[in-house]
Amino acid sequence: MTTKNKDSLIGFDPLAWINDDDKPPDQEETLVEQAVDNASVDKPENEVLIAEVSNQISEVSEFIDNSKILLENTLNISTVAELHSQLVQALQGNECLEIDAANVNSIDTASLQLFVVLKQEALKLNKDIIFDFPSDKFIEAAKLLGIDNMLGVDQAAAGFF
Amino acid sequence: MSVRVVAIINQKGGVGKTTTSTNLTHALAKKGYKVTVIDLDPQGHLAVSFGVTSPQINGVDAVMLDEKNIEQQVIAARDNLQLIVAGPRLQEIEQLTDGGAQRGDLLRKALHENLQDQDFVFVDCPPSSGVLVANALFAADEVLIPMTSDFLALQGLSHLVATLKRFESALKKKYKISLVMSRYVTTRRISKEVLNTMLKHFPNQVLATVIREASVLAECPSFGKTILEYRPGSRSARDFRDLANAFLEGKVM
Repeated sequence: MTTKNKDSLIGFDPLAWINDDDKPPDQEETLVEQAVDNASVDKPENEVLIAEVSNQISEVSEFIDNSKILLENTLNISTVAELHSQLVQALQGNECLEIDAANVNSIDTASLQLFVVLKQEALKLNKDIIFDFPSDKFIEAAKLLGIDNMLGVDQAAAGFF
Repeated sequence: MSVRVVAIINQKGGVGKTTTSTNLTHALAKKGYKVTVIDLDPQGHLAVSFGVTSPQINGVDAVMLDEKNIEQQVIAARDNLQLIVAGPRLQEIEQLTDGGAQRGDLLRKALHENLQDQDFVFVDCPPSSGVLVANALFAADEVLIPMTSDFLALQGLSHLVATLKRFESALKKKYKISLVMSRYVTTRRISKEVLNTMLKHFPNQVLATVIREASVLAECPSFGKTILEYRPGSRSARDFRDLANAFLEGKVM
């Protein structure tokens, strides 16, 4: 059996035998061949499984992404209002906010100011804000404004990731 | 209360067995539980992670070779936390060919009626599927499987599950199986896909806390410190404190 989504990054599911017949595969090649066969046939039951997996993805995403914000590639004055409302809402509902800054390749001062204010606000509320995997561009921009330490993305802190 | 014997197992290397063994056990000990952790990996990395570096100290090897009682081999590693090191001759046991099935039952016999004052005995298994892992599976009632979020880890898990099923069938017991996502990179799509695949096949068995990839976890063994000592305020320390709670409460995804 395969993962049924053609966009999936997993070519076949090596654990499929657990649900199928509860017996381990004798030969891995057989499993691979079956996987390829299944993937190439547009079976109705596959559609049901796709729906099941999609549901699981949304459930898991909900679990994993609760209190986590993934920043876009470009952060500027045109995106800051939306980001502000997203961050304020997230901060209200969580004791700790994790902001994934790995994808940021362009950021302006308005967005950085927003993060500074957010940090200060969090401090007042005794809450925690962490920048996860800050990109080099993010760190560089924060350094230029002298707020890398305040945001916790200075080199010493970055080592903690 | 009887001792819970937990094998931390995955025959794939680099999935975070020793990191989990070190930091989860310390987190449990800091919560007041009495914990003994046994290094069943001849590489002896668990002992190094706790700052015990003398390679000549004998440990569980002498126990399994029937030269010492297991309670003679405990080292007080931290408050509430005892360590039994691998010892220099553990590799000999991995290569034992004599003794039939008995050679797989050495650890279970050694633990029998010993360490009864402990809440948990954890066994940090080697990345293999030989005699030492067999000993861990004879002795344990529970297995904790650290998993990384990549395809080859899923493939390895398939083999491990097959092994567990064979043991369950032969020993006529059912393991309590828990999985923990280790070295998790939240920004990778494949991480979520692997996690979804695990949830599909192991519903209610994946612990609710994921351990995120972090350089500090790679740094602390060289200082002989757990993450709770090396960077107690770090995100990784929080992950392991949360994992300890999830493990104790059976909190799953």
